[in-house]
Amino acid sequence: MKRRRFLKVILAFLGSITVFSFVFSILKFLTALPTRAADVQKLVIRKSEVPLGEATNIIYQNAPAVLINRADKGYIAFLRTCTHLGCLVEFSKIRQKLICPCHAGTYDLDGSVESGPPPKPLIAIPLKIEGDNIILG
Amino acid sequence: MWKNLRHWLDVRIGLDGIIQTQVIDYRIPKNTNIFYTLGFLAVIAYILQAITGIVLLIYYVPHPDYAFSSVQETIMTKVPYGWLFREMHTVGSNLLILIVMLHMITVFLMGNYKRPRELTWLGGGLLLIITVIFGFSGYLLPWNQLSYWATTVVTSMPTAFPLIGEPIARILRGGDHVTGMTLSRFFALHVAILPPIFLTLVGIHLFLINRTGISATPFGKIDDEQRPLTEYKRKSYPEGYPYYPSFFQKQMYMMMAYFAIMFFIITFLPTLNFPDAVNSPADPLRTPAEIKPAWYLLAPYQLMKIIPNKFFGIMLQLILLIVFLIWPFLDTQKEKNVMKRPILRGVFIFLLAAWVVLLYWGRS
Repeated sequence: MKRRRFLKVILAFLGSITVFSFVFSILKFLTALPTRAADVQKLVIRKSEVPLGEATNIIYQNAPAVLINRADKGYIAFLRTCTHLGCLVEFSKIRQKLICPCHAGTYDLDGSVESGPPPKPLIAIPLKIEGDNIILG
Repeated sequence: MWKNLRHWLDVRIGLDGIIQTQVIDYRIPKNTNIFYTLGFLAVIAYILQAITGIVLLIYYVPHPDYAFSSVQETIMTKVPYGWLFREMHTVGSNLLILIVMLHMITVFLMGNYKRPRELTWLGGGLLLIITVIFGFSGYLLPWNQLSYWATTVVTSMPTAFPLIGEPIARILRGGDHVTGMTLSRFFALHVAILPPIFLTLVGIHLFLINRTGISATPFGKIDDEQRPLTEYKRKSYPEGYPYYPSFFQKQMYMMMAYFAIMFFIITFLPTLNFPDAVNSPADPLRTPAEIKPAWYLLAPYQLMKIIPNKFFGIMLQLILLIVFLIWPFLDTQKEKNVMKRPILRGVFIFLLAAWVVLLYWGRS
């Protein structure tokens, strides 16, 4: 290999490593994001806080959620984030549905999409009943 | 004194030569119209945004606990003329996007994107996108209900793409939701990341305009640029009008019209850009009923409403955007005059009408 060619290759190699180092560190810097609480937290709510046919908005693992006391099927909890574009669904006591105010996506009380553009059901939060308490998570 | 200063500069940097070649000998085609001043007007509007933005930076606090009060209380009510600079910045940003859009539309209608100006068009299209990102990133900074939820909606759009969508949305927001981290990122984007990218693109855009020369309109005069492009040739107009004073005067008229419109809005329609939702601080636990993005994002927003499949809705918009950017490379017709191209004219009118309908639909 000629001297000039060798210098070109070395320069290209070192240049590539320099660029890669910057791009890699910038990408790592930008993607080092805080995640929702990794360790499973349990949230305890008293049954009396959610009357029959009504719902209460709660914060579950730093995310807005809703706990519903369904008239026929008992308690259920969802993250309130609409699966369409991330607005927060609201519980409608009159219609007994969860409605997104942004694009009018409607979910039934099982979290399934009834109408509108949401592509997926709401994310359900596991819960169990122990005595007078509802334990989420 | 002015004469001495001019002489001082002339012997050092050849000022007289610059004025002679770039202002007096610089000829403009005789059939230019008022729309040729829109590029200049956009530069003026950008400069105004930079000045008012820097002034607002002095009192703005980019922190979720203080951002809303620093804008709504400190700037709007406590600092003398703070309201004026905020109004100028807000009204100016909307007018700026309107001017850049009009600039692109008129360049398109006059066929001035055609060779050898494909790269100038591409640069202009990228500048329009940067301008919209400027507007969108600035939208979140006052940290009110409208800005918070409009940002939530727009940053959710990438999630339509499988695999890469979620990571993109998370990088944009700095987490799962719009939080103080998002505010920091958008602030950095608005004041530090976008300006150098924007200035570089403006530099390239102006360089290309200078190298290719001004394009004549296809109306009223035969255009001699329909030659096969085999070698570089700068377009010049020895028979045209000098830039100064004839074209300069047109630019000044447009600049005055721009300021007149801006101050008319500030004086008589001060709440035009401030619906009720901007008066409440961002509440991450309550989405307001009437959430709408800025007018220039209303058409895509409404399209997302009426197309049930999110992926299809975003792909359609992405394809339209790419076609718009690379249109000069796709349009191989020699005819510049859109009046002689009925299909292109029809498609253009259809798209413009669809955009206006979606905008009004999204607004209502």
